[in-house]
This record gives sequence, structure tokens and C-alpha cells, in this order.
Amino acid sequence: MSKVLGILNFEPNYVHVRGLEDFRPISATSILGRYRVIDFMLSNFTNSGIDNIKLFIKNRPRSTVEHVTHTSYNINSKRGKIHLLHGDVDYSNNDMFNVDIQAFKTYMEFIDVENPSYVIIAPSHFIFKQDFSEMLDYHIRSKNDITVLYHNSNNADRKYLMGDTIVIDKNQRISEFHKNRGKYKKAAISLETYVMSALTFKQLVEEASMTSSLYSLSDIISDCTKVMKIGAYANHGYFACISTLTAYYEANMEIKQEKELLKLINDDWPIYTMTNDSCPTLYKSGAKVSGSIIANGCQIEGTVINSVIGRNVVVREGAVIRDSVILPDTLIDKNVKLECAVVDRLSIITHIKELKGTKEEPIYIKRGDRI
Amino acid sequence: MKKNNMVAMILAGGRGSRLFDLTKKVAKPAVHFGGKYRIIDFALSNCANSHISTVGVLVQYESILLSSYSARGSTWGLDSNGGGVYVLSPREKDETGLGLYNGTADAIYQNLDFLDQEDAEYVLILSGDHIYKMNYEKMLKAHIDAGADATIAVIEVPLKEASRFGIMNTDKTDRIVEFEEKPKQPKSNLASMGVYIFSYKTLRKYLKEDAKDSESSHDFGKNIIPDYLRDGLKLQAYRFKGYWKDVGTIDSLWEANMDLLKDNSGLDLFDASWKIYTDDPSATPQVIGEDANINNAFITQGAIINGDVEHSVIFSGAEIEEGAKVKDSVIMNNVVVGKGAKLTRCLVADDVKVPDGAVLGKKDSNEVLLVSKALIAKAGGAQ
Repeated sequence: MSKVLGILNFEPNYVHVRGLEDFRPISATSILGRYRVIDFMLSNFTNSGIDNIKLFIKNRPRSTVEHVTHTSYNINSKRGKIHLLHGDVDYSNNDMFNVDIQAFKTYMEFIDVENPSYVIIAPSHFIFKQDFSEMLDYHIRSKNDITVLYHNSNNADRKYLMGDTIVIDKNQRISEFHKNRGKYKKAAISLETYVMSALTFKQLVEEASMTSSLYSLSDIISDCTKVMKIGAYANHGYFACISTLTAYYEANMEIKQEKELLKLINDDWPIYTMTNDSCPTLYKSGAKVSGSIIANGCQIEGTVINSVIGRNVVVREGAVIRDSVILPDTLIDKNVKLECAVVDRLSIITHIKELKGTKEEPIYIKRGDRI
Repeated sequence: MKKNNMVAMILAGGRGSRLFDLTKKVAKPAVHFGGKYRIIDFALSNCANSHISTVGVLVQYESILLSSYSARGSTWGLDSNGGGVYVLSPREKDETGLGLYNGTADAIYQNLDFLDQEDAEYVLILSGDHIYKMNYEKMLKAHIDAGADATIAVIEVPLKEASRFGIMNTDKTDRIVEFEEKPKQPKSNLASMGVYIFSYKTLRKYLKEDAKDSESSHDFGKNIIPDYLRDGLKLQAYRFKGYWKDVGTIDSLWEANMDLLKDNSGLDLFDASWKIYTDDPSATPQVIGEDANINNAFITQGAIINGDVEHSVIFSGAEIEEGAKVKDSVIMNNVVVGKGAKLTRCLVADDVKVPDGAVLGKKDSNEVLLVSKALIAKAGGAQ
């Protein structure tokens, strides 16, 4: 296999996950009880045999750094590494300028030093399963300058808004990129995953930074459909774009179905994550649980229906959790009723006995709140 | 905290033949327990939590899995510079050739080189097959404070059961005056837990002498402790209060698992200050299906529950299919309980596929039913 460098990009500016984003980047957000969003993409890389990865972090690096440095993503610790790159430049005045191109430019010497033949750039706000080595083979075979991963969607009118959609010609090449403004139900969604030679990558970064300081990698690639051979490579299976709180909620609800879960995570395609050494979960007498996924370390005495329960969550007697996502280390006290809620880490719900959102607009309980 | 210079030696070579098929290919310390653990995780985690950095694991019987599992010291955080988990199996020697471990004392004697190399000042001898949480650092402090040559951890057992254990008779200061192995008429109820701290220099001398004695059974309880007492050395009892269980039989292994369902068993696995560490498989979270019913259960990640589970412990990767009813049972790793099967008071061994509709075990049976692959094959043949 040619020398391949994985680049895990930070989230673009259209990603706004209400509430959760105030405390960590999307990459470090807890999902499905025991994972972080980033685990899926990092496992895609390492399961594809790519064990040299540059991980770019935009803001609030603490939780990503902590998680990634304590997780073994099945990389030989001497031969491979996950290199965390957090912006040295202060964008606190204007986050608009905090775009991937600027970060790539700042750290280009660390990419050069690896001397890769190819780079695979993947996003941190998507969840999907993809063998990148197959995608690379396709890229080389098809003699594309750039190959873009995409997925056909039937609900682009309400999902993946402001992401890129693509138009594919009869040669399986991309003729146009558009921003998804929700006009059409059916669209080919770009998964913001690109394969190209390291040389092309450097040229694009250079060109983008000269064009505008607001430009991102996806912007400059969109500009190149006339001058470059940009191929489209289809992804199959489940995919989610975690760009809003609702999208985050829906992804949890969709993946928790046994069939989806086992397609996304299985012995042939493990998803690596940090161990917390929690003991198994204790379901006490009187607990009622159905249609849910539960992480370890929980103590459940109440009722949990159609929900995702994170690590070390306590659900006391008489509590009813329905259609909700409960992040780790929270306490749901006696007789509290939750419906369509996203409860952030370390919060305690005890005094307010009823919280109800909708599937379209789930209610968010802040990290560490005691209510 | 500064690390102490105590080296732990875990005796993990025994077969555990009363666990029958569970230990056919796997040494007892490597048998699964409590959903996600192996039995030896308790001794190893206790070591790590007690700031012991060097641990020898003495293996002999069916050691492939136990050795490969134990060798990865990072699982328990036992991977500091200069420390680690060292798997010590019998080896060929220049003078004596290849010799098996012949008794607990002999196993340590054969590894004096290792203890010399590690520059041990104190040696902690442990069994690899007990379920308990214990701070060995506190015990070492008691050992040093008492100026003892050896300290033996003891637990109070009901007097009527005392004849099943090695019993320590002590004076007012808890100095051991007599040791009786399984006494018919016990004089005290202080049972040895098989946890010893020895000052190494003295132990080294006694082990060398014991090795020369062809009459000796080379056993700590039968030989070394009596030798110490004979010579008037100072042996202290260290009283342990809390949960401690030797899981030597199918029934006791089942019971120890069932204890995890109680609120007050004394074994608190939720205590974050003394975690029990174990290998973390990249399993999914536990999936509880639409029609599942769960009433009092201890379930770990990777399990998929679509049937009814009552008062049971479900291990990693186990699957309870639709309509299956599991009651008062222990379902070990990667077991599949087929549709409509009914299990009561069973302990189902790793990887067993219980066929759809099978009915196994009885509510009021004397003994828990061990469901092994052999049993399923036999039942299948009989139909």
C-alpha cells in the first residue's frame, strides 16, 4: 500500500449542536452511551490499515485530547500515531476565520515530514462505516485528481442542511457542488471525505488561502470541477451528519436499533473507544427497560423506554425516561419524567419532575445542571 | 504515593477440577465472572490499587489463555517503568532440569531468582481464584508495625464451617500461636484467606531449607507456616472484614455471581475508588429489545436481550432471544439462549448455544446445573 496519511478535519462552520457544543467539539461528544463521535472515524482509519493520523482540533481541545490519548485505536504505538494538532492562532475574536485551510497551512510542515503519497481527509462530524483502503484503490484506478465520498439521501430536504450536495455525470465524476438548502428530498450528499495525492492537497491549501481567508477545503474543491477530475465514490449503509442537536438526537435514536448497530459495529469492524472500567449495569427489581441501549456502570430502578443511556447513569425508582438520550454520569431522581430530552453529562434532575421536548426539537439539559 | 518494595506472587497454576468443563481448557483464575471479569482480575486489580507495581503470575495448568491474558499488564495499569506483570511458568534449569511446580512453596522457591532480580523486600503471596477487594498496602503497614516475619490475612467464618478452612489460633495481640489445617474441632473462627506477606530474607532461607526436605509437601499451610511457628518466628493475623469468596465449585461460582444482584453483599463493584479492571472488548453497549423484560439483573456491554431475564447475570456478547426465559442463572460469554428456551438455576459456560425451546434446570434443585457444550450435545443426541 502506498504511504497514506489520514487527516481528521475539525467541524466546519455550519455545525451548531445547541448546548452540547458549548462544552466540547463535536468530535468529543458522547454518543450511543459509550462512544465519542470521533471513535467512528478514527476506527474507520485504523480498520482500513491507516495508522498515521493527523487530528485537527478547532476549539475546546480538552475533552478530545483526553479521550484520544487514553484510547488505543489498535495502532502499534511505535509505528503509528495519532497526532493532535490544535490551532496556535487565536481566533477568539472571530471564529469565522477559524477554517480548516488556515489550520492545514499552519501545520503543513508536520504533514510534509511524513512524506505521504496520498492523503485521506475525513470529517469529524459524520458517522459512517467506510473502508478507506477500498476508496483509495478506486481513486488510483479511476485516475481522479480528487475522489469524494458521497451518499444518496431521500430526506435531504430536512437533513444535512448547509452541507455539500453533488451532481454526478455519466463518468461518475462530479460536475457541480451545491450547498444543501433543503430544496430537494433526493440528493447526493458529500460526506466531506476526500482522497487525493499529497501534492494536490498542498496545491489546494495554497490556492484556497490566497483566494480568501474564509475559504475551507470543501470550498476550494467545489471551485475545481472544471479544472480537475473529481470523482464520486458511493458509501453504503448508515450515515449521519451531526450538525444540529436534532441531528445528534436522531443519530442516537436511529443507530440504537439492533440491526443498524450491528451493521455499524461488529467483530469485523470494531469501534474503539476509551475504557472507563465501569462494572456491568445493575437492573434492580422493579426496573422496566425496553427498546433501549444501555452502557455499563448504570443502576436502573425506574423505567427506560426507547432511549440511550450513557455510562454510570442512575435512574431511581418511579423515574420514567422515554425517547431520550442520557449522557454519562447523570442522575435521574425518583419520579422524574423525561420525554424527548438530551441530558448532558454530570447533571442531576431531581426537583423538576417533568421535562418534555419533541422529536423535532428535543429539550436540552445543560452539563452539570442540578434542577 | 511512593511505591512500596513489595512484590506480589499470584499462585495461578491450579486446575480447579471442581469446576468441571469450565476448566477443561482454561485455568481457574481465567474463568469469567460477574459479567465482564475474569477471576484473576480481582487479585491483579487489588495489587494495582494497593500501589504494587511488580506482580508475578505463577501458571502451570492450561496456561495459554491465562498467560496471554495476564501478560498484558496495562489492563490493570500494571505497566509502570520497572514494574509489570510477569508470567512465570515452570522452566528448565541447568542443575535440576525441567520440573513442574510441586506445591505452593515450591512454586515460589523455583522463582527465587525472580524475587532476587526484583530486589524484593517483602513478598505478597496471593491466590488467583478468590473474589474480594483488599488493600494490601494497609496489610503491609500492619506487618511492618508489628515487626512480624509473616502476616496472614484472616477472615471470621461461622464456627460450624471453620473445619473447612485453615484456622489460625491467636493470642490477645493477634499473634498466631497455632495453625490447624481443616480442624475437626476448631478452636477459633479465624480462617486463612491464602493471603500472606513475608519479609523476603527470612522466607528465602526457609524456602531453601524446605526444598531440601524430601518429606515436605512444599506447601505454605502444611510446611512453611508450621516451620515458622516451630522456630518461634513472629506470625501475625491480619483481620479482614468484607466480602471474600473462594469460587471453587459450580455452586459457589454461581452464588458469587448472584451476590452481585444484592444491595448489601459487601462486594461493591460500583465503588470508583477501588475499581476492578479487566480487558475491555470492543463490544457494543447492551441492547435491550422492544419485548425484553428485565427484573433484577447484572448485564454487561455486548449483551443483546430480547427475552425475559430475572435474577440473573448476563456476560459479554451473550444473546437472549425472543421468548426465552432466563431465571436465577449465570449466562457466560457469547452464549446464545435460543427462542423460547427456559433456563432456571443454570450456569451456562462460554460459547454454548442453547437450542430454541430447550428447558434446562429446576427451581428447587439441590445443585446448580452446569450447561456445557457436552451437556447440550448429549441432550441433542437423546432427543
